[in-house]
Amino acid sequence: MRPKNHFITRRDLFRKTAYGVLTIGFGLKRSGEAKEEKSRVVLIRDENVINKHGKINESIIQQMLDQGVCNLLEEKDSLHAWKRLIKPSDIVGIKSNIWAYLPTPEELEKAIIKKLMEIGVFKKNIAVDDRGVLDNPVFKSSTALINVRPLRTHHWSGIGGCIKNYIMFVRTPWLYHGDSCANLASIWNKSIIKGKTRLNILSLIYTQFYNRGPHHFDRRFVSEYKGLLIGKDPVALDAVGARLLQLQRIAYFGEDRPLDTTPKHIYVADEKYKLGISDLNRIEIIKIGWMEGSLI
Amino acid sequence: MEKIINKNRIFIIIISLLILIAFEGKTTTPSSKVDRRIEMENILPKKVGDYKAEGKDEIYNRNTSFQYMDGAAELYRSYAFKLLMVRNYKKHGYPSLTVELFDMGLPEDAYGIFSYQTEDEEVGIGQGSDYGGGLLRFWKGKYFVNVFSEKETPESRKDILIFGEAISKNINENGLKPKLIKFLPEDGLSERSIRYFHLYPILNHHYFISHENILNLGKNTNAILADYSFPNAKNKTFLLFIQYPDEIQSKKAFNRFLKAYMPEAYSSPHKKVKTENGKWTFAKNHKKYVLVVFDAPTQEKAEELIVEAIKKLSRK
Repeated sequence: MRPKNHFITRRDLFRKTAYGVLTIGFGLKRSGEAKEEKSRVVLIRDENVINKHGKINESIIQQMLDQGVCNLLEEKDSLHAWKRLIKPSDIVGIKSNIWAYLPTPEELEKAIIKKLMEIGVFKKNIAVDDRGVLDNPVFKSSTALINVRPLRTHHWSGIGGCIKNYIMFVRTPWLYHGDSCANLASIWNKSIIKGKTRLNILSLIYTQFYNRGPHHFDRRFVSEYKGLLIGKDPVALDAVGARLLQLQRIAYFGEDRPLDTTPKHIYVADEKYKLGISDLNRIEIIKIGWMEGSLI
Repeated sequence: MEKIINKNRIFIIIISLLILIAFEGKTTTPSSKVDRRIEMENILPKKVGDYKAEGKDEIYNRNTSFQYMDGAAELYRSYAFKLLMVRNYKKHGYPSLTVELFDMGLPEDAYGIFSYQTEDEEVGIGQGSDYGGGLLRFWKGKYFVNVFSEKETPESRKDILIFGEAISKNINENGLKPKLIKFLPEDGLSERSIRYFHLYPILNHHYFISHENILNLGKNTNAILADYSFPNAKNKTFLLFIQYPDEIQSKKAFNRFLKAYMPEAYSSPHKKVKTENGKWTFAKNHKKYVLVVFDAPTQEKAEELIVEAIKKLSRK
């Protein structure tokens, strides 16, 4: 138990107490817990997904997506796998991310749409949106959501991942910026979202593992990781994502250069909102494909 | 599957703008807001070499800045930021350039936002500059400026610096750095490490102290964090220097900090502790100021820094 009126301080980091571990990363193994449930995530990479001109290969990203979903659900056939996630009668909102410097790859959005249509979802019942989700009729009447965005560092929340991607489901996103965006997961309880997310995808085709200044994109700190991280648990994906960005910073700088903000919201999403699992010891990572320099 | 722009959203934006205009009217006359915009338009050149301004200028205020930079706007809003103007420039066959001109309200806060990140090269533009990775940042007067290219090339670096010079020339007045800087002891001080801010998340970005606001920092507090390097000391020492609105608030914050961060020194007359990393932390409350030295190699060094800063304060 955390003592009453005990503030987590830098000195806790020196003492390496449990509170200290929280501030520097995840992976805190809780002792005394009986057999624990695990979250399953799939990391799939293909070294040819980006061609020499920097363009994403549509057929390769489609294969990566299909293989990833099959492995996540332990299905051999991608249509069977997708049908376990989405029904043909579903109205599906694909929550994307349009941040100008590193948006969700259009090729990945197309791959998702293609698969949805192959399993019988009507085109009119599919929408891709980011900032307009609250006013988009498909999202307003959606029965299923697919959450897809790139992984990057974020000035105010530590990382921009799956949990944060739903901030556009509120009209006043800035009200969630306090305390390092700790309570972002509360958004997932809103009726337009609650219980609807069938799949989360972190695009690791490019990752931004560090940034200078609050809103700039610096190509020096962007990697061509050429991967996708796929799972049902947004917290597990973000925990793995945060760890990957940390490992990329260590690989690039030769030291663990801290993020602007500790991605506290991932831990809070687990502990307070029970949205998923943030403890890396309780996340099973299935690795598929090219793993050179995968770091994980 | 179209990305829909809804009328309701536009309506909400219009209402928000009206509310904002009404709110801002309390402190700023409409004519001065117009003046501010005109002044910014004049600062940004229409043409530099073969680069020409393209498209409409984008203007964002404290409330609408989220539309431009999402949550990163919080950083600017933690200072007296008033208005942002964004202008794009094109030159055939070259990566486009973007200029962001921030009216930070006060020169101190233009310096503050600049000081947030100074890890690259000083290129002698404005009153302080930093260039790296295709991004030039500088401050002059009450303005903070970013100039960056879509893609960094040897040509774009040259062009960015020419743009920076042109913009800096158009800003007529220099501004003063925050007064607190004058009171920093000079021996061992790394000038480029000086950070000026108001809120605790910014302090934590530079030097994590606590998840909670244990120093009661807020929009009415001015704070400086500076690095010091001493001979024979491997690691840096940090001096945190905070000015509160009055003595009552500084005393209250000082006590809160002692209880949370160095409880063993709370009742002791000497507010110093050897922390778990083997370095010294020393805190002092002087009038409306709180000074804390972190990670000093010796207790004497920690004390020296604070004594020197207080001497300088007394001479003001």
